[in-house]
Amino acid sequence: MFKELDPILHSQLRLAVMSLLISVKEADFTYIREKTNATAGNLSVQVQKLKEAGYIDVLKQFKDNYPQTTCKITPKGIEAFESYVKALQEYLKVE
Amino acid sequence: MPEEKQLTEQESLQLITSMIQKVKGGYHENGTGPILWGTVVSIASFVTYLQREYLFDLPFDIWLIVMAAIIPQIIMVRKERRTRPHIKYEDEAINAVWIVYALTIFGLTAYQAIVPEVSANLLKEEGWQMMKHVLDNSKPDEVLTPFTPSLYSIYILVYAFPTLVTGITKKFTPMLVGSGIAYTCFIISLYTASKYDFLLGAVTAITCWFIPGLILRKRYLAQKRQHV
Repeated sequence: MFKELDPILHSQLRLAVMSLLISVKEADFTYIREKTNATAGNLSVQVQKLKEAGYIDVLKQFKDNYPQTTCKITPKGIEAFESYVKALQEYLKVE
Repeated sequence: MPEEKQLTEQESLQLITSMIQKVKGGYHENGTGPILWGTVVSIASFVTYLQREYLFDLPFDIWLIVMAAIIPQIIMVRKERRTRPHIKYEDEAINAVWIVYALTIFGLTAYQAIVPEVSANLLKEEGWQMMKHVLDNSKPDEVLTPFTPSLYSIYILVYAFPTLVTGITKKFTPMLVGSGIAYTCFIISLYTASKYDFLLGAVTAITCWFIPGLILRKRYLAQKRQHV
């Protein structure tokens, strides 16, 4: 019996964001947008969904008079990502 | 990227791999820190060598330029942190190594400044003192302040440590080569007179920091041009 894939992560943009954030301590919203080739509006919506799921923390602040949004994966997010990858490995029978 | 596109398992795995690869490539540091330190330490080392070789004194201690470089370094680090698009876990670890390195250098400098006088006082309390005795009796004996022979060798050894850690962690060949040269200079310095240790120290600073810094700078500027 295969484990069901987490619906929050099993979407292209949200998975891309989580894959980026798992590799870094924190990342700027603009950097994530650049790496995922997403529009700002679409990315904002998906980031909000990840935040509501408790998978990422979003910090909004001002730096040099410009607004800056920083995203950081949470321990819950790390756990969900690891479970997701394990489930994928089971589906694809890879070790 | 389209919104809410459902992925196959294979596509998911490919996406995860490609995003992780994108983070691995990416951002280059601007190199100003290594260039600054490479410059001041090599100048201070080389001038100290010249002072000892040609027996002259400057009106100030040349090593003060190294202390003075701390201020622009702090400003640069703060500015760099503000403009950095992401922070990797390895960056935090490397920063910790460089902080420990800075503390070690301060510790060694304090050791060098304090221990000789304290040792002289302790010896005095014990009722004896160190004397310089010329073997052929061509000069009269003179009182000697305790000192650590060839201490700059230890500095060269310490210079190599954070450079090697950064080189290994970042897979940055110029720093790996630099640290290899530093260890070679350290071994040579064990057998040379202390004035030549400063010359080896200058070589170490150039190869560990100045040249890698220039290479980083070149990569950073190339990356910046791509984004304009």
